[in-house]
Amino acid sequence: MTLAPPGIERRATSGGAWRERVTIPPPPTRGQLTLAGRAVGGWVALILVWEFIARQVLDGTRLIAAPSAIVVDAVEKADLYGRAFRYTGTEAFWGYVWGNLAAIALAGLVAVLPITERLVLRVALVVFCLPLVAIGPILRLIFGLGDGPQITLSALAVYYTTLVPLLVGLRAVPSNWLDLVHSYGRGRLTALLVVRARACVPYLMSGLQVGVPAAFLGALVGEFTGAERGVGVLTILALRSLDTDGLWALAALSSAFSVIGYVLVGEIGRRLSTGQPPIILAPPPARTRARSAPRRFVAGVFEATWMTGLVIGAWALFFWLFGLNSYFAKTPVDVWRWLISDVDAGAHRVEIFGALGSTVAFAIPGYFAGLALGVLLAAIFELSSSVRRTVTPVAVALRCVPIVAIAPLLVQALGRGAVGTMVVVALMTFFPTLVACMYGLQQTPGQVDDFFATFAVPRWRVLLLAQLPAMAPAFFSAARIACPAAILAATVAEWLATGTGIGNLMAVAAGTSVYGTLWASVVVVTVFAVLLYWLVEVVERFVLKRVAPEQVSW
Amino acid sequence: MSTAPARGRTAPEVTCASVTKTFRGREQSVTALDRVDLRLAPGTLTALVGPSGCGKSTLLRIIAGLEQADEGSMVLLDGISPDAMRERGEIAVAFQDASLLPWRTARSNVALAQKLARQPVDRERIDRLLTLVGLAGFENAKPSQLSGGMRQRAAIARCLITSPRLMLLDEPFGAVDELTRRRLNLELPPTWADTGTTTLLVTHSIPEAVLLADDVVVMTARPGRIAATVAVDLPRPRRAAHLHTPEYHRLVDEVGTLLGVDEDFEPSTGGQP
Repeated sequence: MTLAPPGIERRATSGGAWRERVTIPPPPTRGQLTLAGRAVGGWVALILVWEFIARQVLDGTRLIAAPSAIVVDAVEKADLYGRAFRYTGTEAFWGYVWGNLAAIALAGLVAVLPITERLVLRVALVVFCLPLVAIGPILRLIFGLGDGPQITLSALAVYYTTLVPLLVGLRAVPSNWLDLVHSYGRGRLTALLVVRARACVPYLMSGLQVGVPAAFLGALVGEFTGAERGVGVLTILALRSLDTDGLWALAALSSAFSVIGYVLVGEIGRRLSTGQPPIILAPPPARTRARSAPRRFVAGVFEATWMTGLVIGAWALFFWLFGLNSYFAKTPVDVWRWLISDVDAGAHRVEIFGALGSTVAFAIPGYFAGLALGVLLAAIFELSSSVRRTVTPVAVALRCVPIVAIAPLLVQALGRGAVGTMVVVALMTFFPTLVACMYGLQQTPGQVDDFFATFAVPRWRVLLLAQLPAMAPAFFSAARIACPAAILAATVAEWLATGTGIGNLMAVAAGTSVYGTLWASVVVVTVFAVLLYWLVEVVERFVLKRVAPEQVSW
Repeated sequence: MSTAPARGRTAPEVTCASVTKTFRGREQSVTALDRVDLRLAPGTLTALVGPSGCGKSTLLRIIAGLEQADEGSMVLLDGISPDAMRERGEIAVAFQDASLLPWRTARSNVALAQKLARQPVDRERIDRLLTLVGLAGFENAKPSQLSGGMRQRAAIARCLITSPRLMLLDEPFGAVDELTRRRLNLELPPTWADTGTTTLLVTHSIPEAVLLADDVVVMTARPGRIAATVAVDLPRPRRAAHLHTPEYHRLVDEVGTLLGVDEDFEPSTGGQP
């Protein structure tokens, strides 16, 4: 019944331990110093290989810019880039602040009124699944010029990955701590302020950390939708003028920008945390009461119905409150007409679902390739601890590269066909999956490891029998979060580069003011992303029930 | 040696009448407590012993008001409900795993209890109390820097700081080694002697129960019932020397017999290799 609170060693001191014992953090050992050396070595090796390939193998193909060329470009245009990054950075900062404040407010609401949890999480997911690519132009119409859309998109990209771990953190409190508060006659609010608010800090920080690259990504997408300045604008200009060095320099600087923010927030988190910071990004599926299958189905249909009703209601209310122009602000009724009851509805459906189909045809293989590669590499790294130590820092750093910033570059390098989109989606899925799986593989209890060791079981069998099942919760949380991310990556790639699929359809619809298509596409893409997320959740529940029942029934 | 003036308070009498608790599961219900009657005399320490799962902790939690008993049960603390007593900040509970908040120092963990009980934080008294439980010099240490025994002592200090009228100790020494446990058993109880406190101690250890208690209540499992009450009339304060008296050993044996530790177990007849 008692969870070990973070940072507390629960083992009783062994015999003769009356002497006061204070644990002092040990000085860095030789092993840790070599670790840093290995990380640096890994980076240097990576850059050398990159330089070689760019200069020798792919010279003149405009596929990859050599690191030295990137540095030269960045130095030459330092002034231009400096201003752009200051502008985009400011947008991302405000989006980050607003998005996280919204997440904290929602989490506070759930903590005080737990009955709202399901509602808040579901609605938050629907909003998170909105295609930023289409929301951008719509916001542009509402805000006009300026940084409003960028900040809003940035906030939208951030809040969900903060909200979810925050809710886990608020809940993951040893029951004794709450009993302590209640034993002095205090209620839920005091428990929230005194215990939960502080206990959730490591979880909050892990969410805030992941949010840094997401905020930057949101601001970039916002700028793609017609801003006058910023990194996104420069990216589009470089893309149009086939300026490979410029594109790579912008992508490298964007990545560096995100990595610095990521490391900074991580460092603050480490200072505040009293134990191991958690990396789990999403909770196990919400607990459900034991019901028979048909009743579960009925309850699910019921929930889906009222959730849809709620979202549609909120949509209509939003328009009514802001008094938006009905020319571009299409209501649920308009979308219904566009897709179902109009004379041309059939043609509209063919257009939108055809585009979605071609997107899905690339996005889904990319998504699975990313997942598979993430698991496979994590497993390989796990088998060799020296490889793992070298690769881990690189993988963690690459996780916070805003993939959207390099999407145009990848598509340019790999061609406008299927491969480009697939690779972008795979990368978007791969890094979070890899980091989550590497973390998950470490979650095998020490005694289990020892148990296998007593039989001298080979490493790969330990991996198969003990570590892969232990990894499942981390893997699935990454897989779920990756669904909307994969769709975002696919639509951005299509919109900026390939000129196919639903991403392009939305961009064209926005550009040519066919708002019926735009809004209908938003609905279709959102529903698709939510369905995908839900599907992963179903598989997750099915698997976890078998390999990690304690994660499901609590 | 007492930590606070008794302030002319009287210790409360605790009465439990036909306390029943059923946990309803999906397939079956488990009766944790079955019509338990228990009285804690004012100012005494009562130890509750019994096998695992006999409902000792459940009974303690019901008395603390942390858990609701079934319909028809009655728990009165000096004639008022546990909830009312909790609201006044007159109850303190010590948990098996110390349950110190890991981000607070020892001192601020103790201070938290005063805040929660709506008392003014008395830093001087907190430091005196921490010295009393042997944590002088560790006031600013975080729980992760303390040994298991030190954490338990900080938890006891947190219990005592509010001068509770009712102290509920749920295996507070369960997670420390035998030597430390014996030491805490001898050192800590005098710190709350004569402060107008009624105490309930849940424990697995028969020697601990006899060493600390005025009354040892023996429970049986499934369903949880009270089997017997053994009065302990060893003189107070209890000292290590008491551990070697025949009276002490007789009491330990008596409680042990009531719990059935002396029974021979049938050797397994299964074909062992």
